[in-house]
Amino acid sequence: MNILILGIGQSLRGDDAAGLEAVQLWQAQHPDSAAQVQVELSELPGLALLDLLEGMDAAILVDAVQSSASAGTVICLGPDELASFTPDAGSAHGWGVAETLQLGRLLVPSLANCRVTLIGIAGGQFSMGAGLSPKVRAALEKVADMVEREIQNYLK
Amino acid sequence: MKTIEVAALARVEGEGGLYIGVKDGQVVEIRLDIYEPPRFFEGFLVGRYLQEVPDITARICGICPVAYQMSSVTALEKALDVEVSPQVYALRRLMYCGEYIESHALHIYLLQAPDLLGQPSALDLAAIVPDVVKNALRMKKIGNDVLKAIGGRSVHPVNACVGGFYRWPDVAPLKALLPELEWGLEAAKETVRWSLTLPYPDLEIDYEFVAIHHPEEYGVMHGDAWSSKGSKTSVADYEMRYFEEHVQRSNALHGHTSYGGTYLVGPLARLNLNHAQLLPAAQKALKEAKLKLPLKNPYKSLIARAIELVHFYEEAIQLIKTYQLDGPSHLALKLKAGEGCGMSEAPRGLLYHRYKIDEQGMVKFAKIVPPTAQNLPRIEADLFALAPKLVKMEQDVATLTAEHLVRAYDPCISCATHFLKLKIKEVVHVKA
Repeated sequence: MNILILGIGQSLRGDDAAGLEAVQLWQAQHPDSAAQVQVELSELPGLALLDLLEGMDAAILVDAVQSSASAGTVICLGPDELASFTPDAGSAHGWGVAETLQLGRLLVPSLANCRVTLIGIAGGQFSMGAGLSPKVRAALEKVADMVEREIQNYLK
Repeated sequence: MKTIEVAALARVEGEGGLYIGVKDGQVVEIRLDIYEPPRFFEGFLVGRYLQEVPDITARICGICPVAYQMSSVTALEKALDVEVSPQVYALRRLMYCGEYIESHALHIYLLQAPDLLGQPSALDLAAIVPDVVKNALRMKKIGNDVLKAIGGRSVHPVNACVGGFYRWPDVAPLKALLPELEWGLEAAKETVRWSLTLPYPDLEIDYEFVAIHHPEEYGVMHGDAWSSKGSKTSVADYEMRYFEEHVQRSNALHGHTSYGGTYLVGPLARLNLNHAQLLPAAQKALKEAKLKLPLKNPYKSLIARAIELVHFYEEAIQLIKTYQLDGPSHLALKLKAGEGCGMSEAPRGLLYHRYKIDEQGMVKFAKIVPPTAQNLPRIEADLFALAPKLVKMEQDVATLTAEHLVRAYDPCISCATHFLKLKIKEVVHVKA
């Protein structure tokens, strides 16, 4: 089974780095699991997300989200919930995860066979160079555990 | 039509808005507002070692990083009186081919085509013509794959340095791209045929076109800046003829010629000035298109991009077929104090750099003139030319026609935000 673990976010934009840091933490804690899956970190995957998903049976995307929930809240969205997002009009850089997945559903029939899950970490601040806020940093352990649980479900 | 206000332009790179003020049925004010914050690249390059410059300036843009690398290395090589080998030059051209392919395929199909086909976004376009968008993504990916084979990754590739490349890319991954590039060449020819069927708004402008021209190759990195008004300016004299000025309301500088006129850089300028240097398949595509040159309709820069796509697929194939590892991948640099300027044709137009370095190779001064800054006054002038037609249109049609014009320029607003002469008061305002 081909599984992709993808950490997404801009390392210099405060809590936006949460996805990258959570995947790196999980990777350090679970090297055996990490060796069995494809691990990628991407600051701004954009349309290249579709290339990363090519040939995968499952993908776990870990990304910071802007949400009304308080910073550090962790959410897990399955394929149906992801499909319900309405994308904004894209800019050249603006191919976000939701709209890229929607484009993929329209254009790449084989993507229907890939189960995509998104683990989102609500961010509090996204200022340049600010680093992770304490609440988001405190949530990383929980996210790493969730990533591991999801993978074990697949590898069972 | 009433006043048009587009708070945030979609499908352009960076953050900008559009304002067209109408009073008593007349357009009285047009502003392309660039509110993307300035990024001070020229400021923080000062004090850096010259080999850091190509990789730092590449970060100015995610779509045209190669342009920033190539303009900076040619400028710094000039400062050191260094000339790279033909093999290095050929590999630089190949890298540039990759960038043109990914940038043009993206712009043609995902950024401008939705306007021409009456769709609000590329997603809506994908819903009605999935195969067209699917082919577009495949065409774009080939360009990114070329960048990855040479520069290790498909966006912000590394490897280019002052004096050449850090290492020669392996031959096998490059040769493996040939079948996809051959497919892309055919898809690009089809793109030209398709581009001729699209319903472009009527608008003819008597532009001053400016592009790098070289008698023996399609002007990208070597040659002089030619103007359609007849002037031929060497890179050393570029700043004698082309100026930038600060505009109070904008975070981008505005370009103008030494006599105060506006000018146009980009695919229309290149095609009109350099069509004789296109490779055979692109020549054939141009001939079959039966276009009357010079092409003066800004919306039709899409056709120019399509013809360039044919050229750059064709050139990439040629360069890969003849690619061989030969000699050192980069020169040993002898540092000395100096000054040099360089220019190259980014997909959206001419990009000029100038640097001063000290005897240790540290940057003392940097100046970057991006294509979009040069085109901004021209975009506003075009909108004024369009105004009599806009005021007669329904509000939504007028808005879309104006937005489409801006998008047709493929503006890179992030690249254009770079003014340096900031007063403290303005900094506070920008951050607010």
